[in-house]
Amino acid sequence: MTETLTGDAPVSRAAALPRHPPGDLAIWVFILAELLAFGVFFAVYAVTRMKNAALFDAMQPNLDRNAGAINTVLLLAGSWCVARSVDSIARDARPASVRWLGAAIACGGGFLVVKVFEYAAKFAAGINLATNDFYMFYLSLTFFHFMHVILGMAILIAVWIKARAGGYSAADHRGMETGAAYWHMVDLVWIILFPLVYVMR
Amino acid sequence: MQYKSQAVAKPYFIAALALFVAQILFGLIMGLQYVWGDFLFPHIPFNVARMVHTNALIVWLLMGFMGAAYYLVPEEAETELHSPKLAIALFWIFLVAAGLTVVGYLTVPYATLAKVTGNDLLPTMGREFLEQPLLTKAGIVVVALAFLFNITMTILKGRKTAINTVLLLGLWGLAVMFLFSFYNPDNLVKDKFYWWWVVHLWVEGVWELILGAILAFVLIKITGVDREVIEKWLYVIITLTLVTGIIGTGHHYYWIGTPEYWQVWGSIFSALEPIPFFAMTLFAFNMVNRRRREHPNKAATLWALGTGVMAFLGAGVWGFLHTLAPVNFYTHGTQITAAHGHMAFYGAYVMVNLTIISYAMPLMRGRAANSNKSQVTEMWGFWLMTVSIVFITLFLTAAGILQVWLQRVSDNPMPFMMAQDQASLFYWLREWTGVVFLVGLVVYLASFFIKGEEKAAA
Amino acid sequence: MSGTFTTSTARNIFYGGTLFFLLVFLALTFQNEQIIPKRDRREMLANPQIAEGKKLWETNNCIGCHTLLGEGAYFAPELGNVVVRLGSKEAVKAFIKGRPAEGIAGRRSMPQFNFSDKDLDAIADFLEYVSKIDAAKWPPNVQG
Repeated sequence: MTETLTGDAPVSRAAALPRHPPGDLAIWVFILAELLAFGVFFAVYAVTRMKNAALFDAMQPNLDRNAGAINTVLLLAGSWCVARSVDSIARDARPASVRWLGAAIACGGGFLVVKVFEYAAKFAAGINLATNDFYMFYLSLTFFHFMHVILGMAILIAVWIKARAGGYSAADHRGMETGAAYWHMVDLVWIILFPLVYVMR
Repeated sequence: MQYKSQAVAKPYFIAALALFVAQILFGLIMGLQYVWGDFLFPHIPFNVARMVHTNALIVWLLMGFMGAAYYLVPEEAETELHSPKLAIALFWIFLVAAGLTVVGYLTVPYATLAKVTGNDLLPTMGREFLEQPLLTKAGIVVVALAFLFNITMTILKGRKTAINTVLLLGLWGLAVMFLFSFYNPDNLVKDKFYWWWVVHLWVEGVWELILGAILAFVLIKITGVDREVIEKWLYVIITLTLVTGIIGTGHHYYWIGTPEYWQVWGSIFSALEPIPFFAMTLFAFNMVNRRRREHPNKAATLWALGTGVMAFLGAGVWGFLHTLAPVNFYTHGTQITAAHGHMAFYGAYVMVNLTIISYAMPLMRGRAANSNKSQVTEMWGFWLMTVSIVFITLFLTAAGILQVWLQRVSDNPMPFMMAQDQASLFYWLREWTGVVFLVGLVVYLASFFIKGEEKAAA
Repeated sequence: MSGTFTTSTARNIFYGGTLFFLLVFLALTFQNEQIIPKRDRREMLANPQIAEGKKLWETNNCIGCHTLLGEGAYFAPELGNVVVRLGSKEAVKAFIKGRPAEGIAGRRSMPQFNFSDKDLDAIADFLEYVSKIDAAKWPPNVQG
């Protein structure tokens, strides 16, 4: 898990850096805790699904897979933009770095908009956490992730503001790496969540 | 002791230990009533003894926290306390209120106490751990606010350290969450739901901030490890605590009329709750191993390490044992809960209070550490009490497993009282272990009176 | 461990993380409030006897010995389902009324509270209300 994530770090600098994860170690403790929470959540989902396969199979087609797919693209694009942004600052290309970061925030915003429409349709149909086990997991997992996208965006916006003010440089951009690492985690979780809840049968 | 006003902590610590003794004595009465049903009946029925046992515990832990705050906040802020006079006045108000409440519990029927203390105006009494009359509850709020004012003013005018900030956050959280004790709707489900906002968000939320801050302070003092390192650990531990603990409240929402989704959310997040406790154990041992000085107060070091280990065992491991919804379905409201409660409270909050008392009392009495003879006695107290609580927990766990089996799982479920009779051997063993605990407590208290060669104050 | 672990980042993560999980918890609480009307039998509270019974339950500190939906002391039986276990409200009232003032020699004894018949009715109504709350099929069996 950790290796996948560090793989997202700016490739051009990887060889020159000492062997430690990019960004502040404190965020990695937090990321591991978050991944653990999501991991256990996924495991509980899997076990419950195994026990109620018929219900889950019957309910799954009701989910909006197109919305899910669009959101996957948005998050992947967002992650790529963040990686470009870190790469730019590493070359001291500050305006480019700020622009890439802005694009990443726009992708995150797009995710939230799509998700809100998806939720609106579900809530209009009277679905809530007590509807049945499938919807309980669907809403719990996607909502928990939705909140993480909001948190990730708050972090990216804070980094963006500091970047615009010239707060990062090729020599010191650890803060940006810290925010980027968190955003990649949010992306990674969705990449597992989407097939697990929307697609896999 | 670097600031004169730190000395106001002393009466708080002494009163806390006196209430600790009362708590244990009433615990022994209850333990005996488990096997000798009508012991002291009808003068001190079980529910009265239990009220004194649990309320004395809560009050003495709060007394200890306040004492700890008065001791460590000036030293951290590098300034005298805002108002030592206020601190002393609050001490007497709090002590007298607590004393009168206990006298009320023991001398008049609870229903009469409710009537004369104005429970009809705003019914808040008669809920577990929140049995205090309205007057006492209001008194707690007033004392807490005045105390927080005193501490906050001290911190504002002085150095702002991570330890002070975290402690202050914990103390404010404690006061704010207590306000939910005034909310008691007729709807039992809502009553129970928000009751846990006091009880759970205290012991698995804001109290852990207080615990972390006190432990961090003592570890800085006795190990000499850089403040920077210890403060980082502190932040990581309390982050993990609240990340898991806040939603972990859900493990109380399985069977009280609340929706089923809490079974999933509560199980997942409370399954992660042992992690911060494990981090705390690692933290304590790591810091002591990396110590840069040999502090003469070995007993305080032992208490600090003990807190790390016992909090992990009691709150972490014993909590995890029955926190998953499918397990809790069978163990909810049995002796398993009692087993967990005893070790968790002792391991986390009793021990952290005894840690700061062990560290601060000699300094307030004008020496860096007690004489070797006194410390050895104190350590005897440590081991007697700690080993006793481990065995009390094991015996209650055994009683709990038997109870769950006979009353909940077997094909022919046994009525409650019959199942209790089957477990009486374990209750006897628990009671005798409780006597050993009391001996440990007496030995511990005796260590305060043992003289011998003293080392000069640092 | 590298030297890139700063107190300021750890502090920011603490504040951010705590606020975040508090918000998730509040959202779950909001949903809870929306769902419980279907489970908590609040319509029964139209009968003022139940609130009166709850008050008597509280002011006599019943929770100091018994559990109610599994919460309380573990010294005496669970009462969330006591109306079901004893078969009727009448049986519950008779039990409470019949406790000897001096206790039962050597046994765990329930005090004689000297309730009036009106009080007993209120307590029984309250306990019946509790037994109707949807507690996710808990307790596992009638013994509580």
